[in-house]
Amino acid sequence: MTERTRVVITGMGAVSALGLDAASLWQGLIAGRSGIGTLRHPRAADLRTKIAAQVPDFDPAAHFDSRTLPLLDRVSQFALLAAREAIGQSGLVFDETLGERTAVVVGTGVGGETTQDEQSRRLYAEDAQRLHPLTIVRLMTNAPVSQISIAYGLTGPSFAVASACASSNHAIAQAYGLLRGGLADVAVAGGTEACLSLGAIRAWEAMRILSDDTCRPFSLQRRGLVLGEGAGIFVLETLEHARRRGATILAELAGVGASADAGDIVAPKAAGAARAMRAALTDAGRHADQVDYINAHGTGTTANDATETRAIREVFATHADRLLVSSTKSMHGHALGASGALELVAVVGAVREGIVPPTANYLDPDPACDLDVVPNHAREREVKLALSNAFAFGGLNAVLAVARAP
Amino acid sequence: MGPAERDDMSQNVQDEVFDIIAAQAKVDRATLTPQTTLKDLGVTSLDAIEVIFDIEERFDVTLPDREANFDADTVGGLIDAVNEALAAKEQPAG
Repeated sequence: MTERTRVVITGMGAVSALGLDAASLWQGLIAGRSGIGTLRHPRAADLRTKIAAQVPDFDPAAHFDSRTLPLLDRVSQFALLAAREAIGQSGLVFDETLGERTAVVVGTGVGGETTQDEQSRRLYAEDAQRLHPLTIVRLMTNAPVSQISIAYGLTGPSFAVASACASSNHAIAQAYGLLRGGLADVAVAGGTEACLSLGAIRAWEAMRILSDDTCRPFSLQRRGLVLGEGAGIFVLETLEHARRRGATILAELAGVGASADAGDIVAPKAAGAARAMRAALTDAGRHADQVDYINAHGTGTTANDATETRAIREVFATHADRLLVSSTKSMHGHALGASGALELVAVVGAVREGIVPPTANYLDPDPACDLDVVPNHAREREVKLALSNAFAFGGLNAVLAVARAP
Repeated sequence: MGPAERDDMSQNVQDEVFDIIAAQAKVDRATLTPQTTLKDLGVTSLDAIEVIFDIEERFDVTLPDREANFDADTVGGLIDAVNEALAAKEQPAG
């Protein structure tokens, strides 16, 4: 049997409430700085939602030329900006041959929501007779993938992945599968979301799951999730490809695991989450007691955080009391389909630098979430192996196992 | 309005809230009391937010926002919340 194909991360980029690049996100996270603030929206006065984790000071015209910009919904703008950073860091320059061996796989929960919302307003509120001719190309779910592919001449297998809040992790897992299976040598993969439209916020309000103060995962006083936005994009390569070109390897994507609850459409199931974590460990060929850190799904809802705690205890048994678990959603918010990708920035940072970002906004412990959740302050800890959890509405779970660069 | 009218209105609120919950939880309306909890009725969190939506639509009120965790909430608590929201609506603006 040949040694299995290993997959490494050689570039990363991020756009989040903590800034327009991965370094801003990481530095913000380890400083315990929350990107959650007062909601900025033209209709903010009418909304019950008063807070969100929004990308600050984002001027699209500063990043895209006037020919490209009309084609781009905000969700594609975020993805392209993050891809530019990731590809820049990787040092890859794509010619025709490499382009053909490069895949693009990007997750998003809702796609071009800003365009959808604007055009719906024109149609229904203003009774417009015609919609913008670029409506379809902006809002289609695969637009971020296609825009990245076009921008860099990437002509390998490329598609979008949707699994609500697990979209990023599923997308990265798919890219990993393409590399493992020999269908590509390089993959540009991650997730993007720009979901803070009037319609989407109203829809979330109706679910009565949004917090009105801030996001306090695992804390007794948690009151729900806080919506965020942004994108995280990574360059993945086979280890062989990365070594051949002498690339700087940031971390190894050591394994992936996925599962479906087949239960309630919203209420999470510990068994489903546990199966995804176990599958990721099995795929990585590691044991539960080798895990040092878990970046939790940790939404800050009553149900998720308690269920995730039970799932972690089920998988890790007594080791659950030794590993660190934190939810960085307390700082970058819940960016839905982009969340897993933003969290992968945190996980890569943790394995590279030996610093575990905290769970911010933490007040008192909840007996139902009795793990070491790294309250409020980052902690130095050698992290050789970490998991990144994502558990979506609809019961779709995806977990990434990340190890130090080989 | 006078106290008698207010009592009538409260009775109506209770009747209509019972109707909405019975329909959503698919239970016999006669089994409902103000002390019944949504959990007793086997109402899931998703059913519960639908109950609240139906109540808000019916009375044209907005119930206080909070995370959907209705295990301990009683039907009587919901009725009180509706009555409070209706009373708040009755206050003259300004």
